[in-house]
Amino acid sequence: MATEESGVAGAEPTLSSDSGSKQESVKPNYALKFTLAGHTEAVSAVKFSPNGEWLASSSADKLIIIWGAYDGKHEKTFYGHNLEISDIAWSSDSSRLISASDDRTLKLWDVSSGKCLKTLKGHNNYVFCCNFNPPSNLIVSGSFDESMKIWEVKTGKCLKTLSAHSDPVSAVDFNCSGSLIVSGSYDGVCRIWDAASGQCLKALIVDDNPPVSFVKFSPNGKYILTATLDNTLKLWDYSRNRCLKTYTGHKNEKYCIFASFSVTGGKWIVSGSEDNLVYIWNLQTKEVVQKLQGHTDTVISAVCHPTENIIASAALENDKTIKLWISNY
Amino acid sequence: MAHRGAERDFQTSARRMGTSLLFQLSVHERELDLVFLDHSYAKPWSAHPDASSARPTRMLFVTPRRQHETTIESEVPIDVETVTSTPVPLYDNQKARSVMNECERHVIFARTDADAPPPPEDWEEHVNRTGWTMAQNKLFNKILKALQSDRLARLANEGACNEPVLRRVAVDKCARRVRQALASVSWDTKLIQWLHTTLVETLSLPMLAAYLDALQTLKGKIPTLIDRMLVSSNTKTGAAGAEALSLLLKRPWDPAVGVLSHNKPSKLPGSPLILIASSGPSSSVFPTSRRHRFWQSQLSCLGKVIPVTTHLLNNGSGVGVLQCLEHMIGAVRSKVLEIHSHFPHKPIILIGWNTGALVTCHVSLMEYVTAVVCLGFPLLTVDGPRGDVDDPLLDMKTPVLFVIGQNSLQCHPEAMEDFREKIRAENSLVVVGGADDNLRISKAKKKSEGLTQSMVDRCIQDEIVDFLTGVLTRAEGHVGSEPRDLDAEKKKKPRDMTRRDLAFEIPDRASRPASPAAKLPASPSGSEDLSSVSSSPTSSPKTKVTTVASVQKSSQIGTSQLLKRHVQRTEAVLTHKQAQVPISSEQAEEAEKEDLRVQLKRHHPSSPLPGSKGSKRPKIKVSLISQGETVGGSTPSQVGTPEVTGGKPITMTLGQASAGAKELTGLLTTAKLNASEGGVSTSPASSVVSSSTTPSALHTLQSRLVATSTGSTLPGATSASSLLQGLSFSLQDISSKTSGLPANPSPGPAPQATSVKLPAPMQSLGTITTGTSTIVRTIPVATTLSSLGANSGGKPTAIHQLLTNGGLAKLASSLPGLAQISNQASGLKVPTTITLTLRGQPSRITTLSPMGSGAALSEESTSHVLPSSTQRLPPAP
Repeated sequence: MATEESGVAGAEPTLSSDSGSKQESVKPNYALKFTLAGHTEAVSAVKFSPNGEWLASSSADKLIIIWGAYDGKHEKTFYGHNLEISDIAWSSDSSRLISASDDRTLKLWDVSSGKCLKTLKGHNNYVFCCNFNPPSNLIVSGSFDESMKIWEVKTGKCLKTLSAHSDPVSAVDFNCSGSLIVSGSYDGVCRIWDAASGQCLKALIVDDNPPVSFVKFSPNGKYILTATLDNTLKLWDYSRNRCLKTYTGHKNEKYCIFASFSVTGGKWIVSGSEDNLVYIWNLQTKEVVQKLQGHTDTVISAVCHPTENIIASAALENDKTIKLWISNY
Repeated sequence: MAHRGAERDFQTSARRMGTSLLFQLSVHERELDLVFLDHSYAKPWSAHPDASSARPTRMLFVTPRRQHETTIESEVPIDVETVTSTPVPLYDNQKARSVMNECERHVIFARTDADAPPPPEDWEEHVNRTGWTMAQNKLFNKILKALQSDRLARLANEGACNEPVLRRVAVDKCARRVRQALASVSWDTKLIQWLHTTLVETLSLPMLAAYLDALQTLKGKIPTLIDRMLVSSNTKTGAAGAEALSLLLKRPWDPAVGVLSHNKPSKLPGSPLILIASSGPSSSVFPTSRRHRFWQSQLSCLGKVIPVTTHLLNNGSGVGVLQCLEHMIGAVRSKVLEIHSHFPHKPIILIGWNTGALVTCHVSLMEYVTAVVCLGFPLLTVDGPRGDVDDPLLDMKTPVLFVIGQNSLQCHPEAMEDFREKIRAENSLVVVGGADDNLRISKAKKKSEGLTQSMVDRCIQDEIVDFLTGVLTRAEGHVGSEPRDLDAEKKKKPRDMTRRDLAFEIPDRASRPASPAAKLPASPSGSEDLSSVSSSPTSSPKTKVTTVASVQKSSQIGTSQLLKRHVQRTEAVLTHKQAQVPISSEQAEEAEKEDLRVQLKRHHPSSPLPGSKGSKRPKIKVSLISQGETVGGSTPSQVGTPEVTGGKPITMTLGQASAGAKELTGLLTTAKLNASEGGVSTSPASSVVSSSTTPSALHTLQSRLVATSTGSTLPGATSASSLLQGLSFSLQDISSKTSGLPANPSPGPAPQATSVKLPAPMQSLGTITTGTSTIVRTIPVATTLSSLGANSGGKPTAIHQLLTNGGLAKLASSLPGLAQISNQASGLKVPTTITLTLRGQPSRITTLSPMGSGAALSEESTSHVLPSSTQRLPPAP
């Protein structure tokens, strides 16, 4: 169910006016457009489909719901998992969906029919994160059993198990060419893997290694964005093991909160926060340029639409809603 | 996300292919070209300032190390969106993708039962393993694992712009793992046939395709084994299937196949004959590597290729490495001579791999050839890099191209530059990025640069063509020109040298610029004249070395390293010969004998053995080996090596103990005593030098040698080994050297030398130590031998003849005889012999030795300073 908001009620620019003169501190001016209610438990992840049509959400209520990305209309609900779902991901052609669940399986869904095509079994503990590679013939998953697995989409077979973390794997992602995999773990290490051979190419370790709660390649695959449970987001040039930018101001000490690059208008970093706000930073200047207020619980996920200036955010069990924010930037 | 541009713009690629392959492939070359564009008058920036004959190094696929800016200002905007455009693959992408999927397309041929439905995707669950033995299960799982990894690689690389190359690398890896698995069961025929049948029956089509790919790759490498594996399935599928399968497996696909076959290199101008020197003796057990065979066919595109192989008698049993090398050099040399006589006007190009490269270089010193190409040149030896002052390679006059791998173990680009700047011949260097000794690039390099070995090979070939074309066109140009033309003369000189007697040749060498002396009418008989003592430089190396292969050295490095030693000695012979040039009297000989006897007594108890250590570090090595006897209480024990034990070389470095240096000096003093006895009498020149007031005898000796070297630019004169040689030869030689050398430019003494029949070559015989098989670098001992031999009568002539006629080969074959002599000798007087191996450039040592005795040098600094002294000779004052 989508509730349309009138005007810019939820959006509240937070910056002082003196910085408005500077070119790079232009405001994104996101405003709440829809509130999507439907899940009966905490929402765990939201993802826009690569073609921009859909928004998929997963929840602790074991359901996956597909929404219209532009109108917030409830399209489909996928049933199948026995336990809470932690993560979902779209294939490049937007026809498949993979979901990672606490029932130790991943399920591959056909979006148009809503059928579960494959159940990928093999992990020994909660499956916590998952992603397709760009050609969408491989799936990578990370689990609380501290391993990552690479699966063949076509057969649903596990082709490789990578065990190099010593704590639950919190996030996995392919780069844009599909040659590399990045993984983050509660053990405080980010690792870069060669997708073809499963060899670990690199490990990024920060001095006081706080648990890594989220990692993601930049759209061009040159940088990685990491979130750590010390209220910090960092942008790394992994080829040189160098941290380029640090984004702070939000609150993140407990949950694995998704963050994303917004590149459709201005260049922003968008992340949820445990103070119930969505934070938007200027990618270059690291300033917080906007905080989106509206959720009533921790914003666990905030993602950006692939082509439009739309942000979708989702919150935990006191809220259970997904909000779509739109900017005319 | 949209798929990456799977099909790259083929047209761009094709258009680019029109230009030289090399031009596109080696991007980094263009930096140099940019400088040239703006400053065409300038020397190339990479040209070496001191070495005009060394052309700037060409880099093939060497990734330049760019300096990263150390600090990133946070102001620099970060672009998270723009994807770096991937380079257009250098091969025909469409074609490459087509050949890449060959096995997938034809996978059905492998099916024994083509009509049955293909196994389902979850075939693994359906494999009925009941009745399988443990070995079968194990083997099957191994293969399965390999195929699964391959599958992952295939999927992960799908759509990548250089997918064919990545696939090729992955398939090679899979094939390697399959081969390992099959080898783990020792290619048990029953088992592997069962495996093949089972795999063909059970694998899903994609997996089967991967399996066929692996088979295809292996078939190229180990055809008979794979054929044996396929026999059973062939009988099942019937003729048609078997034929299709064998066709499919005929040869492994190559991403660059189309490009390379479309751009065939053209023939070289002047229709040269290309002689390929083998890098080892041919044997039926170890056929020439596929790589060398491949290159042979590659080169046949350029001109007529004549491979020169060396066959050893008795399958090489009982043949030492050096003899073998002599055989190889001899074989190439005789081939060159043969061609010269049959096709006098055809240019000859020598090409060799690794040790073969060295062989070609040495042959080019003896016979006239147009150009030399050294592939995977083994510059480094256990004694450090080649190019010591006494290395005859430095005297090469034939244009030479070195092609080395960036990651070669036997070579190093920087060391190569040092070496090159000392070569007189026009020389070029190509460094192949990420390549090994055999110029094979690494997997990582293939992946990161989207290359295949065939492409790299082609580029190397292009470089060779480039170099040879230059040389050949120039050579052609000179053919018609006036014979007195300086260039042409230079070209001819090497040929003349072989015709010339040593006596004529030496002044030529000593005075590098073509002096009038050098142009003296050469006696054509020289090299072949058996009775002539001073044999031609070509045979001189043979006279010297009677070294038995050191067992510790293994195969290739050992070989080339030995070759180097051999080479050094060659030079030593030259210096020695040179030394005797002016001596024309019999008394000289007598004096020498006398001297030797004295020396003999002194050096009585120990025996020579080479310090066969990689001598990066120790520059002064005193290797004392007792021949199983008690170490005599005379000189050697005073040398400060009381711990000498039987048969064990003890190496002493200056840096380790300053005391050692002192003692060494002491030893040298004793040696010098003999030397000066003879020396003063014969040569006023040397007495002048020896009157230097330096307290250290070593210094005196050295300074004398240095003085010698100042007289001439002859590289060998200053080498430490020649110093020792001089020691044991008695100073007579040294002094005669000093007196002789200044006289060199004048033709006067030279003719005399021809008539002189000194036992010098005998003196320079390598040592034969009895009992142990390790004889390597022994210089002086032979002196004692020869003198003894002379005493015992009859023998010297035998040796003499051996040396003069036969060269090393015969000499070596008569080793037992020599050993006898040695035994006899020991029976007479000398139970053991001593070798001092002084490496390093004397003048440097001179400076060091006082330091060594005065302030103890730190090990580090010594070892740091000293190595350079072996490699580089500071310009004579």
